[in-house]
Amino acid sequence: MSELYYKDTKPQGAPDFYFAINATFRFILRKFGQDGFIRWLREMGADYFEPINKQWRAGGLSAVADYWRAFFAAEPEADVIVNETATEVEVVVRSCPAISHLRLGKRDIVSCYCQHCYYLSQARARAAGMSMVVEGGNGSCVHTYALGDVLVQDLGSIKEAS
Amino acid sequence: MLGSYDFCGHYDWTFMWLEKHGTASTLVEYWDQAIFQDSQDHATREIIASGLQGMEKYWGHTLHDEAPGGGYSARIEGDRYLMEMKQCPSRGFLLMNGIEYSRDYCDHCIGWIGPLMKQAGYKINHAHNHCGQCYWEFVPKGAGKDDDQAGLEKWKRELMSAWEADEGVNAIDVFCNANAVQDKQG
Repeated sequence: MSELYYKDTKPQGAPDFYFAINATFRFILRKFGQDGFIRWLREMGADYFEPINKQWRAGGLSAVADYWRAFFAAEPEADVIVNETATEVEVVVRSCPAISHLRLGKRDIVSCYCQHCYYLSQARARAAGMSMVVEGGNGSCVHTYALGDVLVQDLGSIKEAS
Repeated sequence: MLGSYDFCGHYDWTFMWLEKHGTASTLVEYWDQAIFQDSQDHATREIIASGLQGMEKYWGHTLHDEAPGGGYSARIEGDRYLMEMKQCPSRGFLLMNGIEYSRDYCDHCIGWIGPLMKQAGYKINHAHNHCGQCYWEFVPKGAGKDDDQAGLEKWKRELMSAWEADEGVNAIDVFCNANAVQDKQG
């Protein structure tokens, strides 16, 4: 398993940070609207994640697969399988750690929570010369990555969270 | 997906984004509305219901999750709750990874704790040096004297000492009898 780009002294994140992520979505949606929410995610994908996008561009699909394996190993209670073929990487989220913890904490989950994965990851994939799509949501989903602009998202295939 | 592991990194990036795309007050509104009133609702309920014991329960859980390796002291002392942070896990993550997006990351703590303590009936004495060391004192309003700053003064001296020992440390920010980030004395 490859190492994460950012280092920390503990092996996994604190799950209550999912509360803050959910609350941040709600604030940005209220303050900046849906367009602002999408812009925030796309700009973050291109800027904050730029060092990792560069790794993806250089390392191709193997780098994407390695990243998501390391990423979910550092997310508490994640149940995820990453499959890699010559043409695609499939991230099978059997149990989303964020949705799971938000439910455990009896939080009012922002209905478009699962869309953030698409807007953020699509911006990152694009910066790396790839495309990606999300299918499912609300606790379990599949993210697919491919080289080039070959994958097209149907937003209707992303479930609302609750 | 936005993860919990590097949360402090994209949290700091978001502060910068809000400073850039919002008005002068948007970041303070974010800490108040999103973090205090929404994300940390469980802390508010705990502290309003149980006062100092609620603080002990909340920070006991949070610091265990965020700083399992220690690097801090948190305790009830008389009528107040004290926290002495020598290795802040949040600011420490940014320093360790060379992340520096927003104007003053450390302000986010009083940005949400300030209004919480105001609602719960406590005033705050606080100082931070932007390098992972800070001091917190939550004092019931009406208890003690407003000029009783012995603990804060002791910590300011310690933070000054750290500043002298490390050229990378920024100026120390101080808050006395405060409940908002705007109460910063500089």
